[in-house]
Parts: sequence; C-alpha cells; structure tokens
Amino acid sequence: MDRFAFVLRRPLQLIPVLIGISLVTFILVQLMPGDPVRVMLGPRASEEAIKIVRARYGLDQPILLQYGYYIINVLRADFGQSLAFRAPVLDVILARLVPTVCLLFYGLILSVTFTVALAVAAARRPGAWIDQTVRLFCVAGLGLPSFWLGLMLIILFSLRLKLFPVSGFGASVTDVLWHLFLPALTIAIAVTPILTRNLRATLVGQSAADYAVAGRSKGLSENYVFFRHVFPNSLLPTISLLGIVVSFLIGGTVVVETVFNVPGMGQLMVRAVLLRDYFIVQGVTLFFAVGVVLTSFVVDIVTVALDPRVKL
Amino acid sequence: MHRRSFLQSAASVAAISASPLFGRRARAQGKNVLRMGFADEVLTLDPIKTVYGPDILIQGIMYSRLLRASADRKQLFPGLAASYEISPDGKTYTFKLADAKFSDGSPITAEDVAFSYTRMRFQKDSAYAGPFTALEKTEAVDPKTVVMHLNKTFTPFIQNVEIWNSGIVSKAAVEKLGDDKFAQTPVSSGPFRLVEWKKGDRVILEKNPNYYRPGLPYLDGIEIIYVPDDNTRVSMLRAGEIDMLLGAPYQLISALAGEGFQATPEPSSIIAEMLINHSAEPFNNVLVRQAVSTGIDRKAISDAVTLGLAQPASSLMAPVLNYFNTDLPVPVRDVDKAKALLAQAGKPNLSFDLLIAAGLAADERTAVLIQSQLADVGVTVNITKVDSTQEWNSLVDGSYQATLNWWYNETPDPDVALRWAIWGAGENKSYYTRYNNDKVNALLEQGAAAPEGDARKAIYFEAQKIAYDEVAQIGLFYPPYRNVYSTKVKDMKLNPGLQFSTIDEVKLEG
Repeated sequence: MDRFAFVLRRPLQLIPVLIGISLVTFILVQLMPGDPVRVMLGPRASEEAIKIVRARYGLDQPILLQYGYYIINVLRADFGQSLAFRAPVLDVILARLVPTVCLLFYGLILSVTFTVALAVAAARRPGAWIDQTVRLFCVAGLGLPSFWLGLMLIILFSLRLKLFPVSGFGASVTDVLWHLFLPALTIAIAVTPILTRNLRATLVGQSAADYAVAGRSKGLSENYVFFRHVFPNSLLPTISLLGIVVSFLIGGTVVVETVFNVPGMGQLMVRAVLLRDYFIVQGVTLFFAVGVVLTSFVVDIVTVALDPRVKL
Repeated sequence: MHRRSFLQSAASVAAISASPLFGRRARAQGKNVLRMGFADEVLTLDPIKTVYGPDILIQGIMYSRLLRASADRKQLFPGLAASYEISPDGKTYTFKLADAKFSDGSPITAEDVAFSYTRMRFQKDSAYAGPFTALEKTEAVDPKTVVMHLNKTFTPFIQNVEIWNSGIVSKAAVEKLGDDKFAQTPVSSGPFRLVEWKKGDRVILEKNPNYYRPGLPYLDGIEIIYVPDDNTRVSMLRAGEIDMLLGAPYQLISALAGEGFQATPEPSSIIAEMLINHSAEPFNNVLVRQAVSTGIDRKAISDAVTLGLAQPASSLMAPVLNYFNTDLPVPVRDVDKAKALLAQAGKPNLSFDLLIAAGLAADERTAVLIQSQLADVGVTVNITKVDSTQEWNSLVDGSYQATLNWWYNETPDPDVALRWAIWGAGENKSYYTRYNNDKVNALLEQGAAAPEGDARKAIYFEAQKIAYDEVAQIGLFYPPYRNVYSTKVKDMKLNPGLQFSTIDEVKLEG
C-alpha cells in the first residue's frame, strides 16, 4: 500500500498553504474600503456607539497586532466573532456548510451522469448526428451565464410549470433533492460541456489506440473493447479535470446560491463582503481553500486507486 | 482494492455522510404563518443596538412600546401604558401601566420600563439615544407607575415613546443573559416571539401567547426570509413561496399589480436627496447652491427614476410629517437663472464631484440625470462611484463635495427629522452637510418647547423656509414604499415611520 503513503504526507503540506491563504485574505480584507461597524449599526447610529463597538472587536488596534491575534485564535480553532451576526464565525459558517456541500455533490452527480451519457453517445460514432447534437449542446452550455440560466429555469420550471420551488433548501432528504434540483441543474449545465468535450476527445483518441485495434483484430466485440478497455483508460484526464472544475464550482456557488436563495456559504460570502464582515470573509475563504485542497487530495486518491501505474 | 468496489464504497460513504446532516427544520406552528421577503438581513434582536432597517422592522414586531400607533402612524393609542399624564410644565411624564406579560409569562412592571428606558438612553453603545436626550431620569414609583423626568419642556417626547428602540425589554432576562445573549435569544413584549433565528436565512417568530392585547395577534407566526436578489424575491412571491415582499423594483410594480397582487405604493417618510458639503468649495457659496438647485429638474428625475410613483421634493423633510411647509413650491428649473447665479458667484465654469454608492440602480440613474441637466447650465459633474461604506465614511469625514443619499423619520413630529437634517448644533452636523445656521438651530429648540398649535407650526415653517432659501440640501423626491402583498394578506400596512404598527391585527385569508 506504499502507493498510498502520500495520504499521510499530504495533510502536512496543507499547513503552509493555509498560512499563506490566511495572510493574503487578511491583507485583502483590510484593503477593502469601508467600515463594518457603520454598516452593522446603521447610518443614524451615534458616533459613540460606533467607537465602542469598534473597540470591542479590536478594530481600533494596529493591523499587524490584529493579524497576530487572529492567527493565535485560529490555532485554537477560534475564528473570531462575526461582526454582522454577532455570533462565533465557526457557528455561522457551519450552519451554511450543509446546503453548499449538498448543492455541490448534487451538481456533480448530475454533471457526471450527463457527461458520461453524452460523451459515450458522441464518441461511439464520431461525426454522426448524435455527436453533432452533443457538440451543439456543449457550445451553447458554455456560452450561458449561470445567473441568466438560473433565472430562465426559475421562470420555466417554477413559475410556468410549477414543478420545482424557486428557492430554499428543504428539511428532509427528498425535500432537499427537490429544492436543490434547479440549482444543481444550473451547475450541471455549466460544467457538463467542459467535461463532455474532454471525455469525448479522450474516448475518440483511445478508440484508435493500439490496444483497441489489437482487441478488435483478435475478434473482440466493439462494445467489449469500448466499455472494458477504452472507457476505463479514458477516465483519468476527465477525473483530473473534474478536480479543477470542482475548485471552480466552490467559488461558483456564490452566483447559483444567490439566484436560488440557497442559504449556503456562497451567499454568506457575498453578504459578508457587502457588510464588511472581515472575520466571516476570512473564515469562508479558509473553508473554501480547504475545500479546494481537499478536492485535489481526493482526486489524487481516486487516480491512484483507479490506475495501478500512477505513483505520487 | 478493486476499482469497482472502490467506487461503490466511495458512493456509499458520500450518501451516509450526507443523510444525518439534515436537522428537523423549526417552523412556526399553525397554518397562518406570514412569510415576508426582506432584501436585507436581520442582524440583531436587541432594540437599542442598531438603526438598521431590517432590525428596526423586526424589533418593532417583537417589542411593544408604552404607546401604540395607528396603521398610518398619525394617531397614538394606549399601549403597555394604559394612560399617561403630563405635568403642566411639560417636564414630568407619568405613565400608568396596563396589565401585561412578557413572552415568558413574567409580568411587565414599572421596573422593566425604567430599566428599558435607562438602558436605551444612557448605555454607551445605545445606537439611537438622540431623540431622547431630554430624558434625564426614569423611575419606577410603584409596580404600575413610571415617572420620566425631562430636563426641559419637550413637546415631541410623547411621539418619541413609540419609536422602536423604546420597546420594553425584560430586566430579568437582559440581566440574566447579558446583552449579547439577549440579542440572540430575547424575551419579547410584542405580539410575536422568537422560535429560531437561522442566521443568513430566516427569522422564525410565533404568536406570543402572553401578548397584552386580548385575542391578538391573528397570525400564528411570521417568517422573515432573507432574499437578497430582487428577481428571486419577486419570483418567490409569484410562486407563492412568500406572502409579501419589501422593496419591489419600480419597473415591476405595475406588472405585479396587473397579476393581481396588492402593489399600491404606500406613503413613506423617505426623502431622496443630494447632500452638499457646506464646509468646502464650491457649496460653501450660497449662490452656487442656488444655481445648482435651480439647474435641476426634480420632476423629470422623479418621473424617470420612480416611473412617476414619487412626488418631487420641495422641503427638506417628507410631506407626511406634521408642520410640513406647504407654502414652499417645488423649485422650477430655470437654466438662464442658474447661469446668472453662477456668473454672480464668479464661477462660470463650475465643476464638482458627485459621489454615489455603487450598485444602487436608482442612484446611478439620478446621478446621470443631474449630470446632464447641469451640463446645460455649464456645470461639469464628475460622477464617482464608490463602495457604499466608503461613501458613508466620506460623508462623515466631510471629504466630499456632493453625494446622493436618503433618510426616513420614525415619528410624524418634525423635531427628530429637522434635527437630523438641518440642526448644525447636532452630532451629525446637519446630516454631515456641515450646514449650520444659528437662527435655524434656535428655531428648532423653540419648536421643541412650544405646545402643539399655530405657534409651533409657524416656527417649523420658518425653519424650513430658511433652509429652503439657503439650499441647505438639494431634496429630489419623496419615494413611496414599494411593498407587494399577495391577496391573502389582509390589513397589512407599513407606516411612514418604517413600522408595521398594526401587525397584530393582520390576517391571512384563503
């Protein structure tokens, strides 16, 4: 199992990455113009109240000192107090984590399903009408901005056909699947074209590879060659790409969650930036960063598990 | 590991790890739950800690005051106080409390009232003690009697005891929980009490069984749902996922009305205006202020931005307020006169920076119209878009020339309003315009002490006239509230002071 030794090594490499990310976010957040306390107390709040609240959150301290306190606190798993919600950052983020994670997984499951179906259909007969249709879908899907697509799906499926709700998250598993279908579909329509083009190209390429030709010449059926040899050998590049796409999607939840009013991390991030809630912005960024690093970690594990030749 | 079994186990791990995460969602019990869509998020439930719109609205629902306002905020009725008496010198107010309980069942006593007022008036981080500066001391004489001592005769005081931040909180609960915890899990004195606050999503309220008005509220509960996107909020209303929304875009009002929603704009106390900095060039010159004011067509701006739903502004406060000066006409645009005024001021090639907060479509439209209207006068307007908090900082620091802004007023009395807008002696320096006229300042003090009637009216008319002639600010229009309700919602009304003052009488039907 020494091929999997990196599983133990990799988390250690996460530490310098996170320190770097925390420093960059901290500086970026400080560079944002504006005053969180004035936002949270409202324009007509008295100057004295503003001064007191600013002191309470240590916002009147020098920036370096603020960063020092922040790092010490994070090491103790204390991400600070949200300025806007007046509650621990960790609590606010954890309350938003489930919808975002569900949305991401749901979107990915749909994307992967669509991708495999479309790419296989297209690659079996390159240049045939199915292939052309899939290509048309891919080009169209790549060109549609998510916020517009989301609105169109709401108008069609929620307001006209009344099949799915406009917004929200839901209480039970089926309820969540129902509520998140349109947002997940929006994600899938954005992601599927990228993955499909990649998988289709690899499938077409691998179909002409020597081992496939050899298999056919030995009298194996086309289906057997395709699904038993060509398909597994074509997955790796798409899985690597999937890892990158997921990293993008983690940031992309910002748009989808806003359009469908899903109370997740992306929406929280937008809100926190507008409210100048420094500690939430830093906390969410750290979570997103960990999410991205974990994704590439998982992709590495899957790659090693799928392909015995790969060593990391 | 075989690859197929690996994929299978990965899938099942994902399924298992996802399923136990869904908690049971708390709901207000019962069918009659009003779901409101807010564009902004509730941030605190402690009435003294904020002057932020969504907070003001929910706190008004959760905390009863000594007096209760009518749906249009014009009349005051007994609230937690069954009656009150004002001493002949106008400095001592004695309130007799009605029998009432907090949502936890404990009685609301004079001690609680004294505690709430002292806290709101004197606690250092009380955000909006301004309207209560005349209040020197609040004491509980006996369990049912509260006496408030003012340091001067202050006529508007009785109006101010209805302002949301004078809502009565439980002394025992605040002292036991501390301010921070109380703001998260409060005990309420109003028609509704907290069930659960899902931060960034919704606040769930239910009927307060101990509410002091018998048989009320009619609703079983309220959910205040945070929906930042304008289009999504409207879609949710259309799909029946919310029963009402606050702040529909102007361009959708008539469409929503056509679809059968109750979309009649409601009068507000808001004034949209251009603030100008009197402490810096060029607006420290009254001729320049008059020239710019004369060069602007308020009607055209109001019609273009609000699609005719707002009235163009004449005075510096909204017409719903008492003693609004009806003698002042909306300034008429006169390009030649504006040019002459500029020539007289010795500034024929005037230019100034107009600061606007990015992302507010109405403000951007207004700014462009001002720019093009003033171009005819020979004035160059440089529009600078900044972040809204930066706009606020520039306003507070005085490092701006002109900026677009708005404000509303809690009470129909003009005292708080004019002290906010044109009282140079106040902490906010006439809404940070640095306008300071000793005559106006003195008039506002006189007006506060004068008994209601013609003499008081004359004082406020004069103060508004002076500010109008000197162009203290450039009022643009009086926008209405753009709330839209489904037909199920009966008798719901947002009063001009930004309160649903009769929410306990609201019904859901059908």
